[in-house]
Amino acid sequence: MNAFVNVVRAELFKVRRKRRTYVVAGLWWVLLPVLALIVGRVLLDNLGSIASDLELGGIDAVIQQIASPFGIARLALVGPAYVSPTFYVIVVALLAALLVGDDRTHAMWKTVLVVQPSRLAVLAGKVTVGMLVVGALMAGAVIAGLAFGALGTTFLPTDFSGEWGQLLLLYALQWAFTTALVALAYLMVYVTRNVALGLVLVFFLPALLEGLYTVYAAVVGFQPINRFNAFLQAIRMRQVLEDLPTYFFTTNVYAPARSTTRELVATFGAEASGNGGPDLSALLGSGITLGHAAWVVAGYTVVLFALLVWRFLRTDVD
Amino acid sequence: MARPDPRGVATVEAHVDVIVANQLSKRYGRVAAVDGIDFRIGRGEIVGFLGPNGAGKTTTLRMLAGLIRPSSGEGRVLGERVPGPSLRRVGTMIEEPSFYPYMAGRDNLRHAALLHGEVPERRIDEVLDFVKLDRASTKRVKAYSQGMRQRLGLARSLLWSPEVLLLDEPTNGLDPVGIAEIRENLRAVADTGVTILVSSHILAEIEKLVDRILAIEKGRLVFDGPLATLVHRMDAATVPYRVRATDGAALLAALRDLGYAPEADGEGGARVDVPAADADALLARLVRAGVEVTDAQRVAEDLEGAYLRLVRGDGRPS
Repeated sequence: MNAFVNVVRAELFKVRRKRRTYVVAGLWWVLLPVLALIVGRVLLDNLGSIASDLELGGIDAVIQQIASPFGIARLALVGPAYVSPTFYVIVVALLAALLVGDDRTHAMWKTVLVVQPSRLAVLAGKVTVGMLVVGALMAGAVIAGLAFGALGTTFLPTDFSGEWGQLLLLYALQWAFTTALVALAYLMVYVTRNVALGLVLVFFLPALLEGLYTVYAAVVGFQPINRFNAFLQAIRMRQVLEDLPTYFFTTNVYAPARSTTRELVATFGAEASGNGGPDLSALLGSGITLGHAAWVVAGYTVVLFALLVWRFLRTDVD
Repeated sequence: MARPDPRGVATVEAHVDVIVANQLSKRYGRVAAVDGIDFRIGRGEIVGFLGPNGAGKTTTLRMLAGLIRPSSGEGRVLGERVPGPSLRRVGTMIEEPSFYPYMAGRDNLRHAALLHGEVPERRIDEVLDFVKLDRASTKRVKAYSQGMRQRLGLARSLLWSPEVLLLDEPTNGLDPVGIAEIRENLRAVADTGVTILVSSHILAEIEKLVDRILAIEKGRLVFDGPLATLVHRMDAATVPYRVRATDGAALLAALRDLGYAPEADGEGGARVDVPAADADALLARLVRAGVEVTDAQRVAEDLEGAYLRLVRGDGRPS
């Protein structure tokens, strides 16, 4: 236990000494809320005066959702789950590079693992610090969103109302789900023995695999009888393969944030599955319950950490 | 046989071997980097670990530091098999010392101290003062010279007042002043009773520091004994002479006739290794053979020469 605590203290010290920690925090805590306030102001200036003429009476509600203290705080947790690579994965990958990659880049394993010979304690400490820092950055983003939102109440039609309990739940769930991202990032950065390659894999490997699947499903499909499909049929795997998107890494790991967005979009009258509008299902992860996502993410986390521990305990230090 | 000390840390009785290699081997595929070496080092001994590049010195030290797993055999430090908790009482400097370059020298030490968990803050000042880096301690390590990095590495290895030091080429890349400084530091450390195993291929350093030599060649231990014995053994085997005569060709011919294998050494000169028993009679025999000898010098044999002759086994220094 002491070894674990010592590793956590040392790695937290290292994170505090790294400039990139503050750059990431600055981007997350300042840039995103400021953008939300600007968007709120632009909406108010451009649509506010004509909203009644166009029967867009809900423009204040829209601004409340986007630029209120609650809205920005929620956006701080939901926004980083979009675009590929997502901001969440960028943050986690940078932490993996700092906490795991740096020890290879600067040949520090030979020092770290003599000072703390318990490799399990070292790995557990580094994972814990990664999760703590992600949690702190997320919490900071929520608090910063609240603060900027409070500032916005002075020049926008917003107030402090909102489902704050739901926001706390979203924070806790998305933070817990991020464990799988941490496991993936640490594994890739450690196994590839090259931080740059590790980061590229973290950013793009899940998307690449899922993209290949999508291409296959779109171009070939699972109905035509080719050798591969026949093989799948023979081993009774076709249905599993058709259901595979519900087990995709990215679909599940961002499920808390994206399901929140789905609910938000629904309040504006749109549906994830279309209903005449654009099909947002891929973006919003429709059809996946949080319970399902939790099991899938837990599975990924266990497998990825098992591989990481196995490699970490066995590898000789060059 | 462990006994508690006032710090609550188990220490090893003086008569117990502090460092033990027991049939220690490391193979990479078919290549044996270290091939079943055995040695024991007692408390307070300062032992030089000699060998040309690629002989297996670093691999042996890495196994003793718990960084790589032996293919067979075992390493024990302070009575415990490595890797294990006893490594926390070992200071290491394996190859070039490594640091987090974005941190100051002092912060690198503080990170190591936190990682170890039992280093008081004042100890950081003590070791910085010891290696004369107290003034530069707030500079980032990336601005350090090679000599400063070596001294900082030594400071870090001393941070937790280790009972054992494993040092791999501690003066590598240093200028003569830097080498002298490190040597002085090591001598001061040795005076405190710390057991030191120091490897080097710059043999002059070892010669001035250690009492005992372990010589390794192609993964096998070829000598284990006092420094004086090594030199004496080599001296006893052959004595190198540099001889000059008015007629160089006649000199070489006479030496060959006497059963030696001379090499031409400039105009009228020859270099030859003579069995110790023949050494005193060499000049007289050359004169009897009709050679007009103008100069004859016994070449001073240093440790490097003795060592190379030992490991090559042909009685011929390089």
